[in-house]
Amino acid sequence: MLEGLVSQESLSLNSMDMSVLERLKWVHQQQQQLQQVVSHSSNNSPELLQILQFHGSNNDELLESSFSQFQMLGSGFGPNYNMGFGPPHECISRTSSCHMEPVDTMEVLLKTGEETRAIALKNKRKPEVKTREEQKTEKKIKVEAETESSMKGKSNMGNTEASSDTSKETSKGASENQKLDYIHVRARRGQATDRHSLAERARREKISKKMKYLQDIVPGCNKVTGKAGMLDEIINYVQCLQRQVEFLSMKLAVLNPELELAVEDVSVKQFQAYFANVVASKQSIMVDVPLFPLDQQGSLDLSAINPNQTTSIEAPSASWETQSQSLYNTSSLGFHY
Amino acid sequence: MQPTSSMNEEFLKKWQMGLQIFRPSIDNTSVHERKKAIKLSADVAMASLRKGTTCWSRALIEKTATEDNFLVRQMLSGIKAEALINKKLPKKIVCHRKIVRRSKKILRRKSKSASEEAAAKAKRLVKRRTQGLRNVVPGGELMSNDVLLLQETLDYIVSLQTQVNVMRSIVDAAEAEIDQR
Repeated sequence: MLEGLVSQESLSLNSMDMSVLERLKWVHQQQQQLQQVVSHSSNNSPELLQILQFHGSNNDELLESSFSQFQMLGSGFGPNYNMGFGPPHECISRTSSCHMEPVDTMEVLLKTGEETRAIALKNKRKPEVKTREEQKTEKKIKVEAETESSMKGKSNMGNTEASSDTSKETSKGASENQKLDYIHVRARRGQATDRHSLAERARREKISKKMKYLQDIVPGCNKVTGKAGMLDEIINYVQCLQRQVEFLSMKLAVLNPELELAVEDVSVKQFQAYFANVVASKQSIMVDVPLFPLDQQGSLDLSAINPNQTTSIEAPSASWETQSQSLYNTSSLGFHY
Repeated sequence: MQPTSSMNEEFLKKWQMGLQIFRPSIDNTSVHERKKAIKLSADVAMASLRKGTTCWSRALIEKTATEDNFLVRQMLSGIKAEALINKKLPKKIVCHRKIVRRSKKILRRKSKSASEEAAAKAKRLVKRRTQGLRNVVPGGELMSNDVLLLQETLDYIVSLQTQVNVMRSIVDAAEAEIDQR
């Protein structure tokens, strides 16, 4: 494979001397732009790296410094696709084995590529163009820098749209002044400015803020809109949690007749790793128990459960089922509102 | 805001301390008694995590105290949070039914346009739900305004989540232990 590549390189060198010069100039530009880039750590774009390596291998004298930099870029390339840069790079298909590094250079190169494309496109705002380019080219790449720039672009768009759309609302909404005790609220155009409505509006905004927090924490609340629906979800969730507590405490009472939760501090950290899994999957993990190396470290000391208890547990478990069911009935009855 | 690992640890410690107080009187073999003790200590531990800053924690401790005052006092002294039991609660909001009924009759006589009706229905729904929320959250009836209610709900939900997480992991560990034998 290497031999084939070498032959390709030589071919291109001979056939396109002019383009090599162009390439040289282009890479020179990249070198200059390298200093301006913010550092991010992310994956990399395959073809650009390959282009640079291509260039680096061709023009060692000029590009040795840049090439060494590019060599530091990360490995793990995705598929190789065309950016339309000019220099032929369809033939490039080798992957490098470089270390990971903050991929500042990638962002620069991609941005320049976008700029060249932006020239071709007409009648579009620049941030829009950027986001679209990014969407097209970065389907399989998760470059944080680009998402950041796209976010900035989108926020810029949002701001301009807001300012252009709302001719009614000339001034912005409420803003809390942290220095004073008063809440300074600027009235929007066409709305009452007397005290009561202002206070009410401030209160309403507080409530909506709290509802947003609640929406984040209650699972499944984002699908419902409006206060009544969300409140309903919240109520259901709280009741569900309370019932879970009852159920679990009953289960513990059965499993642990001596009420010994003798857990050393070391194992609490194991708990933390366990919590994530437990919360994710709502079923008790009975089959695979790799998370608790009880025998090795002996940390979780539930020695209260003697081997004798295996028989005695079966007896209460039968009654426990009925008891838990009655528990459910009573608890569900008790929670009517 | 998700329950953090430090919150889980704190809750576990307090719960253990509470349970240890109960353990000497463990000759009660009934499952119900044990379950009650477990739940009580868990609730007290959960409430004491907030150290009396929130309304629901105080109300919860009061509620558990009504069930078994002596035990709760012991637990709180064990957790070194005796001050919690003496904290005052805001007054309960009492609505005299006659007055409410009369005002509702008067309100109904107002004009009923379509949009107004819809808005009124929505408001009624929201009011009913907030009342339901007050019933569920401990100390809900004592909170005067909706903002406070929502804040307390948020805090209560987070604490409940820590409680459930810790209990569930312990139960799973216990089950795993049994399975291994």
